[in-house]
Amino acid sequence: MSGVAAGAWVGELAQRHLDAAYNLGRWLLGNDQDAADAVHDAYVRAARAAHTYAGGNARAWWLAIVRNCCLTKLATRARDRPLDEAMAAMPRTADDDVEQDVDAAQSRARIASHLRALPPEFREALILREFEDLSYREIADVLGVPIGTVMSRLSRGRALLQRALLEPVQETPDGL
Amino acid sequence: MDCKRAASLLEAYLDNELDRADARELESHVDGCTECRAELTRLGELRAALRDRSLHYGAPSALRERIAATAAAAIDAPAGVAPARRPRPPASSWLRLAAACVLAFGAGGVSVYLWNRGTDDAAASRVASDLFAAHWRALAAASPVDVVSSDRHTVKPWFAGKVAQAPLVRDFAEQGFALVGGRIDYAGAQRVPVLVYRHGRHLIDVFVLPAPAAAALPASIDREGYAASTLRLGDQPAVIVSDMDAHESAAFAKLLTETP
Repeated sequence: MSGVAAGAWVGELAQRHLDAAYNLGRWLLGNDQDAADAVHDAYVRAARAAHTYAGGNARAWWLAIVRNCCLTKLATRARDRPLDEAMAAMPRTADDDVEQDVDAAQSRARIASHLRALPPEFREALILREFEDLSYREIADVLGVPIGTVMSRLSRGRALLQRALLEPVQETPDGL
Repeated sequence: MDCKRAASLLEAYLDNELDRADARELESHVDGCTECRAELTRLGELRAALRDRSLHYGAPSALRERIAATAAAAIDAPAGVAPARRPRPPASSWLRLAAACVLAFGAGGVSVYLWNRGTDDAAASRVASDLFAAHWRALAAASPVDVVSSDRHTVKPWFAGKVAQAPLVRDFAEQGFALVGGRIDYAGAQRVPVLVYRHGRHLIDVFVLPAPAAAALPASIDREGYAASTLRLGDQPAVIVSDMDAHESAAFAKLLTETP
């Protein structure tokens, strides 16, 4: 069990990087409720594990825990329905609909839907790199894979996105 | 460097993961190769698109409050004895713990690495190196600008579509510092607007930086006969890089920072 001091330290860390954690969870899990639950679980887990943190990049430590809680959530969800279906069933948000009005917003919506359609291992690498600005080393640590794997996943993810964006606009891929 | 090798390094370059020697070599290849430059631009555009804030989900305030409430409950009723100081177990133990739920559904072993310890100083020195490298690259390139214009009304809108906040653009031709144009460059992983001026034979780059990138930069840096000095351009941090002497540089900085 955690001590008071350690718990407070993790609380500050979690609050400071809550947007990063929620964003990662939201992109991995595809809906608000699961993302919020996973991040909350991650906080509880991190507070309990606070005494095991041994220096280094605290944000990456926190995001690694968040990501693992997201995977737990995905695994739980997969018991109810197949994983692919769960990953694809990403509800459109109100924002997406409003954005359809404007050209620039439309291309943003396209990027978002193609990013959602990427295989999860490419998506999470891209999110950690482009959204959270983590280095290859940090991404490798969060994902628990070698740096070479990080590089090839980023590269494959980018290539898939670029190819998808070059395709003529179709009916929204959100409804996959 | 041939195109095949350049292509294999482009992403690492963009991700700021190349060492300086490789980066310089790649830059000189890209300067002379239209295809690789186009590929770098495409990758840069994809990055800009991905980094659009509209794709980022902010944490809902309900979650923030929920975590605060859980934290408060833990402090009100602490379980066990609070250690006076945080003990320091082996570096890998938290990773094993973080990996526990992955292992729980059989994802297999998790490699354990030591963390990079990034410091503000290291980040600042990397940004500074990027700025000097970008300046030297611009000097070596056929043209130091992407948009050629002495008219600030052309330069500012050109930036508007390419970076989050278009910089304050003014021409000081009458004072001896003529606006040449603008371009987009990279500082770390971020696209930054660069205003280009000419003073006599000196080419001057003014990099307009996002606040975090500029935060730890010292007021001035000298490197191989070139100098960088930081200042504020309107409400944004900026860095002047040129081979002007300190006197000319100060005069130019004064013009830039004066309110119009």
